[in-house]
Amino acid sequence: MSENKKIARDLERTRDVTSLKALYQCAAISRRAFVSRLAALGISASVAGVIVAGAPVAVAASPKRGGRIRAAAGGHGPDDTLDPARFNSVINFGRGEQFYNGLTRIDGSLVAQPDLAESWEPDSNATEWVFRLRKGVEFHSGKSLHAEDALYSIQRHLDKDVGSGAKAFVENVAEGIVEDKHTVRFKLKGPDADFPVILGTYQMKIVPAGTTDFSTAPGTGPFKLVEFKPGVRSIAHRNPNYWEEGRPYVDEIEWFGISDHLARMNALLAGDIAMMSGLDPKAIRQIDRSAGVRVVNTKAGQYTNFVMMTDRAPTDSNELRLAIKHLQNRERILKLIHKGNGMPGNDQPISPVDPMYCDEIPIRPFDPEKAKHHLKKAGMDGSTIKIHTSEVAGTGAIEQALMLQREAGKIGLNVKVQRDPGDGYWSATWGKKPFFMSGWNMRPTTNIMLTLAFTSDAPWNEARWKNARFDELLTLGRASLDPVQRKNIYCEAQTLIHDTGGVAIPCFIDYLDAMSDKVKGFLPVPLGPLGASQWPRSVWLEG
Amino acid sequence: MWLVVLRRLGLGVITLWVVSVLVFVGTEILPGDVAEAILGQSATPEAVAAIRDQLHLDRPALVRYVGWLTNLLRGDLGMSLAANMEISEMISGRLKNTLVLAGLTAALAVPLALGMGLAAAMFPGGRVDRLVTVSTLFLLSVPEFFIAATLVLIFAVHLQWLPAITYSTEYESIGQMARSLALPILTLTTSVVAHMARMTRAAIINVMTSPYIEMAILKGVPRGRIVLRHALLNAIGPVVNVVALNLAYLVSGVVIVETVFAYPGLAKLMVDAVTRRDMPLVQACAMIFCSAYILFILVADVLAILANPRLRHPK
Repeated sequence: MSENKKIARDLERTRDVTSLKALYQCAAISRRAFVSRLAALGISASVAGVIVAGAPVAVAASPKRGGRIRAAAGGHGPDDTLDPARFNSVINFGRGEQFYNGLTRIDGSLVAQPDLAESWEPDSNATEWVFRLRKGVEFHSGKSLHAEDALYSIQRHLDKDVGSGAKAFVENVAEGIVEDKHTVRFKLKGPDADFPVILGTYQMKIVPAGTTDFSTAPGTGPFKLVEFKPGVRSIAHRNPNYWEEGRPYVDEIEWFGISDHLARMNALLAGDIAMMSGLDPKAIRQIDRSAGVRVVNTKAGQYTNFVMMTDRAPTDSNELRLAIKHLQNRERILKLIHKGNGMPGNDQPISPVDPMYCDEIPIRPFDPEKAKHHLKKAGMDGSTIKIHTSEVAGTGAIEQALMLQREAGKIGLNVKVQRDPGDGYWSATWGKKPFFMSGWNMRPTTNIMLTLAFTSDAPWNEARWKNARFDELLTLGRASLDPVQRKNIYCEAQTLIHDTGGVAIPCFIDYLDAMSDKVKGFLPVPLGPLGASQWPRSVWLEG
Repeated sequence: MWLVVLRRLGLGVITLWVVSVLVFVGTEILPGDVAEAILGQSATPEAVAAIRDQLHLDRPALVRYVGWLTNLLRGDLGMSLAANMEISEMISGRLKNTLVLAGLTAALAVPLALGMGLAAAMFPGGRVDRLVTVSTLFLLSVPEFFIAATLVLIFAVHLQWLPAITYSTEYESIGQMARSLALPILTLTTSVVAHMARMTRAAIINVMTSPYIEMAILKGVPRGRIVLRHALLNAIGPVVNVVALNLAYLVSGVVIVETVFAYPGLAKLMVDAVTRRDMPLVQACAMIFCSAYILFILVADVLAILANPRLRHPK
């Protein structure tokens, strides 16, 4: 078989939609083969058309009504809550998307789409945003949605007593004004071109003004709460009064957590559940081999990284940091540790699924010679350093540390790997020891990700890296509404982290979920597992 | 007799108090606290401070402990820090589930274990004895999660006769309840039966070496009657103790089965609460487990006393 045909055959078997798209676009496979391969991956023909066109357009599929879906997230605990301000895990995000809506919704290309807000516009310097709400939307209780509800829901995150995890997102809001029953204006302290995307995040759900008791999940969402036992399960019934025409499709959702990943997988294989989040990469072959279930692999920007604190020895030497970065065998880490489910990283946190990804920075190659050169310049040839890791740091955190130990040993750097207990890792190790592993989920916008973890005074700047030019760039980026200008600004910012930052990011890791073949209409969104939990409004059961 | 019981109950209360202090100290020593645990990735220093304030975690440990103790003595278990719910509400459902599972398992495992032990002790060294000895040794050596996973693989995934998980305890019928609980009960039975059966066998064989048994054999009493009528009651002491320990384990230690089958029981609740540093919940669970142990062992000792006339009427 010719070389090209072999490559095409191997790539055709891939579960990577991006590779398939590339194949199709360079005419290596026919459209028919492309669409049929996508169908085998569980993506309907119409969505395949969308992928080919490349535009995030509403899909005209032929959904079937009815049925009951039982789905499981990767674990829960006694802190299950129905208060959007306290949502911080997949089990809660899933409930958020069942019972509530936000002003906007973030789609698969990380663009803000209208949800409860029909339209919005900024003023010329992105410091004032006006949102126009949909008319005729009702909460589950029957009360109509008005602008005061939107204002209350956003401003409550600033209230100390609410204890919201999303307070930082809303701190930029100086004032909110209800202009009329369906219009609300937000005046920001500083410009923010991404404000509509922020309003689409998990915690920014709209509840009736004055709500303090969330036990009935008072939202406008596609499902109504029927039963909720924290730490056990929730049951939701279809909201017949839902404002989105025709949706949702299923009649009932039963949603709970199964912490043990083996038990979760067994439940899927036995038919006890129809969808699950968080599939262990080692279990992919098992799911592939079983009939009636499939793996859903979403390219995402989450990563497990090495942190080298820049304010303490020995990692304060940029030469040592460059040595560590050059010791990353990215392809090998991706293939062996993450079983090919991911994309190579470039020591900066913005991934290819993010619209602001800078592809001009060449991916740092695995270069032990150069690493040794940097090591000598740092004066650390033959020395010993210790890296702290734990399985709670991130997917593959221990394995990546061990691989570094191996590669470093070959060039004369002795890396001791210390496995710290997972309990209390974030208080005792993270941000305290000079060299440790960490892990990050991607954030909805480039600005949020960079501001949260890389600006000089950010509390989560795990490497304590300070760069005045970087802070300046971010301020410029927030204020600019011009996409080309923003791309250039963020490109320079990414280059700064790539060159001098305190993090080594070998690769980005896909979200791996699994579901029954009867579940259709699932749309991948790279922000979180199970399509950033947006599945309740779009899935249906067939077959 | 009643004096003995009363004295034991008194000692039990003191034990409970000591356990509560130990649990409190143990949880306090662990790094991190409930504020960081609730907030997870969104734990900025000010969000953490806000929650700490709300939950009064800034008060010194001793003050918090005494506060909790006074509430307990009044019958108030307090509020869960992480879930913001009444603990009594959270526990009541889980306790019921745990007791149901423990009760059904005990109903199956105890008679089975006693029967196996008796059958083995009837003719030591015989075929039945060897079968029982080998099988119990095997069951003791195989880890519980392995048995659980194998049972799930066979009965749920391949044969699809039984469900792989039992997350819901709202049963529509007895039949459905039986199907849901079958695998957890089977797994737990295999773990506890072995221990009880071996102890029963050992205790009875030990009693069988006494002179009065030799007398009964010489008199020509049939084997079965000897074991059941003459030997069993004297062997009750150790047997009943081992049964009590296993029952207490069924109430407090079945974390693995609860995890694998997603069964909403008390043991998993406590483990989750420790991970979240939810002190009141951890304490409440610890008190329940400790009380279960004390109660079961007390009953075991009383039964042992009742069965032995020499202890019933001490001279």
